Amino acid sequence: MGFLLWLEESGLGIFIRESLWGYPIVLSSHAVGMATVMGVVVALNFRVLGYARDISVLAFDKLFLIGWVGFIVNLISGLILFCNTPTTYFFQGSFQLKIAFIVGGGVLMKVVMNSVRGETSEGLTKLASAACILCWFGGVITGRLMAYL
Amino acid sequence: MDYDTYAPLASWFESTMVGEQMRNIFWLFPMMETLHFIGLTVLFGSLLVIDVRVIGFGRFINMNSAMKFIPVAIGAFSVNLITGIAFLCADPFRYFPNIAFQWKMGLLIIAGLNALWFWFGEHKELQQLADGEDAEFRAKAIAAVSLFLWVAIIILGRFMPYVEY
Repeated sequence: MGFLLWLEESGLGIFIRESLWGYPIVLSSHAVGMATVMGVVVALNFRVLGYARDISVLAFDKLFLIGWVGFIVNLISGLILFCNTPTTYFFQGSFQLKIAFIVGGGVLMKVVMNSVRGETSEGLTKLASAACILCWFGGVITGRLMAYL
Repeated sequence: MDYDTYAPLASWFESTMVGEQMRNIFWLFPMMETLHFIGLTVLFGSLLVIDVRVIGFGRFINMNSAMKFIPVAIGAFSVNLITGIAFLCADPFRYFPNIAFQWKMGLLIIAGLNALWFWFGEHKELQQLADGEDAEFRAKAIAAVSLFLWVAIIILGRFMPYVEY
């Protein structure tokens, strides 16, 4: 709690609360980053699940790189947005779920990539892929609902 | 935009049954927003596959398979068109005069024309591309414009609540 209060009173916290355009600009970057990460996650998992199967999964490597860029944009913009009211967000159910979904989605993405490159059975790979895409959608849904719940 | 110009149209949107339900059922608006976000991610992801291939950054993505994301993009766009119209019906007098909304609609039309140009002007020729082969400059320009426009559309949408008169 002490840390959260410190964050709220930090320069970053004050900036994001008080500057006129700071909040919408960071929020927009968060939306563009989201579209990028999610876009790559969706396309990649569509492929793994059997759609557009003529694309070699390895050719997706470049796309994956773009996904990482989006993720980093969102990590940074997300941390700045968090400084807005960390004492509220930290205890908010929708926020906690969102973070859990993102961690779960990230781990599952790694599992999917490993099984695509390795010898895991197709069924298991697809199961992980479906769970992965659901996790990431869960992250978007709970993120959007943070404004309401 | 002048009030008298959009008022009749806005009143009509406001009076629709969709508008009424969007205002009366408290969970409908957030649910539509969530769908709008999911549609956005699927649409942007599909465009990424196609545009990144055409631009050449992901030149080893099979072009014909990349094109299979066109129907996915159209499906996702339809979700966002429907949910977007629902928002508009809920509170048209807020949206019509909003400068970010006006720009967003303008860019959407340009993005639509750009997509039509891609479909009627380029897509047949692009299908002949072998894996790893570079597309023509004109096609690359269309793909880059597409990505730029859609990023701008996302940003403008996000800015709408912050630029109200």
